[in-house]
Amino acid sequence: MATLLQPEKVLYLVRGEKKIRVPLSQLYFCRYCSELRSLECVSHEVDSHFCPSCLENMPSAEAKLKKNRCANCFDCPCCMHTLSTRATNIPAPLPDDPTKTTMKKAYYLACGFCRWTSRDVGMADKSVASGGWQEPENPHTQRINKLIEYYQQLAQREKLERDRKKLARRRPFMPQAFSQHTIHVVEKYGLGTRLQRQRSGAPISALYGLSLKEGEDQKEITIESAQALDEVEPLPEDYYTRPVNLPEVTTLRQRLLQPDFQPAGASQLHPRHKHLLMKRSLRCRKCEHNLSKPEFNPTSIKFKIQLVAVSYIPEVRIMSIPNLRHLKESQVLLTLTNPVENITHVSLYTCEEGDPDDINSTAKVLVPSKELVLAGKDAAAEYDELAEPQGFQDDPDVVAFRKSNKIGFFIKVIPQREEGDVTVAFKLRHDFRNLAAPIRPTEEGEATSEAIWLTHHVELSLGPLAT
Amino acid sequence: MADPNAKQTGQKSVKIAAGAVVCVESDIRGDVTIGARTVVHPKARIIAEAGPIVIGEGNLIEEQALIINSYPENILPDAEDVEPKTMSIGINNVFEVGCVSQALKIGDNNVIESKGEVAASERRVDGVMQVKLMCVMCLCSAEVGRNVILSSGCIVGACCQVNTCEVIQENTVIYGSECLRRVQTERPQPQTLQLDFLMKILPNYHHLKKTVKGNSTPARS
Repeated sequence: MATLLQPEKVLYLVRGEKKIRVPLSQLYFCRYCSELRSLECVSHEVDSHFCPSCLENMPSAEAKLKKNRCANCFDCPCCMHTLSTRATNIPAPLPDDPTKTTMKKAYYLACGFCRWTSRDVGMADKSVASGGWQEPENPHTQRINKLIEYYQQLAQREKLERDRKKLARRRPFMPQAFSQHTIHVVEKYGLGTRLQRQRSGAPISALYGLSLKEGEDQKEITIESAQALDEVEPLPEDYYTRPVNLPEVTTLRQRLLQPDFQPAGASQLHPRHKHLLMKRSLRCRKCEHNLSKPEFNPTSIKFKIQLVAVSYIPEVRIMSIPNLRHLKESQVLLTLTNPVENITHVSLYTCEEGDPDDINSTAKVLVPSKELVLAGKDAAAEYDELAEPQGFQDDPDVVAFRKSNKIGFFIKVIPQREEGDVTVAFKLRHDFRNLAAPIRPTEEGEATSEAIWLTHHVELSLGPLAT
Repeated sequence: MADPNAKQTGQKSVKIAAGAVVCVESDIRGDVTIGARTVVHPKARIIAEAGPIVIGEGNLIEEQALIINSYPENILPDAEDVEPKTMSIGINNVFEVGCVSQALKIGDNNVIESKGEVAASERRVDGVMQVKLMCVMCLCSAEVGRNVILSSGCIVGACCQVNTCEVIQENTVIYGSECLRRVQTERPQPQTLQLDFLMKILPNYHHLKKTVKGNSTPARS
């Protein structure tokens, strides 16, 4: 029975740039546009970075400098779990008296999952609990850094040229306003305008403009081109005859997690700093309002703004499915839950012939023609034992049961195909009171805002036909 | 063991060496010998059906662990020519909560983590886990099968099953949902601290089975 409650059984259609069918729990609702939004039709923005194991927040600039890795935590190179620091006592000679030995603490890294330790790769135990572990240096770092600098300089020059052309087209007495415009142009390889400014050693706005001074950039970086070598190191002689030591060979995943070394042997797998995760905020592309904004604190899972669809749109869930037979009418019991606190009126319509949204349905459906009324969600209802019976007159053919803000109702399904899964679709129309609308002066004294009627296309997958 | 009386009772007896801590609530059946400094927790099950089990010293057998010397599947217990094979377990092994071991030979310093199975094709799934009073170990179980021989220093990770017919190399770690393997450079440390702690604390909370000093009188269970 629990499989019927799975959210993928009921899909809502999102009419964005692409038409997507997604369960309601994965959708957002823009209150201002009064439309459903999915993850694909919103813009994602990075809010903050944090380390998943030590939950330390890191400002974005620092994160970029450290290549999005935490300074304190390490990942096991073998199973990618977080490494923990363990201590052992080793006898060490006293600094004053070499003959006596005292117990000193030595620290090593160990993985709790696959039992990898830093001693496996030959890393010596450190005497400091944290901060003593170094990642191995990439032998190509210098060359890569030089190349990056060169290309950044090139990109800067290109941008200047582009701006100069634009400036030549515009009127010449507007350089000030114009230079403010250049700052917003996204740079190609840049580290961000603030850091770029620090590097070139002068504020951009004052010196831009009319002519590009070649001498302004004192560090004229030149790179030597890469040279192709004719000779390659020969393979060792026993390369084909030596038996493979399987535990020593690294898996592809282990290898590619360290792209700068890509070690082939397990004894060269060094631990790397842990990747940071980020919190993201979502923004509606049409009205630029935030749909989801998490709290800044990494330990908090709450949201400052959380406009999820489940708290605005009534949710349809499948409660029970009888045996479905080809061309025979069966009744399916569905539930409809009202997430808001006011009474909601819901009507269901079948999809018309030739509806462009209705591509997946393999059965005909007959939905109740009357309007269904859902009571508001009352947070205190579960504690209130003396709940008054709600005065709703329900047609027993349509409404199976009613419980606070939820009703169960029947739909009739006639599968049209002999084989395959049965999928039905219908339209759900409900009224939505927009509490986000600006409060207009109520001369007539109306307390509630106006209701808009929203229509959604819902698809249910009812599973295979009964054999 | 010349006299037949002793032999008969010897088959059904549980010999617990001095210094071992075996709780009364543990279920030990058949001909089982438990070495010194071994701790057997309550609700651990050591069942010697198809032959005797010899457990060495310094082992730690936690709750709901099942060490069973059972008949191989297709052979009925009443069939002839079934030689009782002795299951021998070495020293300093750890059988964590809820694990199942049917391996006939286990060396030293091995760890079978929670819900690990060293079982022949038949899988034994234990029920709900009991949370121990003083346990700090992890929470899933591993299985080890009958035709497996764990040499020394092996670790069968949580929920991993080993039911192949092979000798597991020394210092192998079997981990992960796909039972990946790797060799570690050092064996797991013997749990001496934990053993000492348990040997002090367990008698405060549980009754212990009487230790038998090597003669064949059946132990009170």
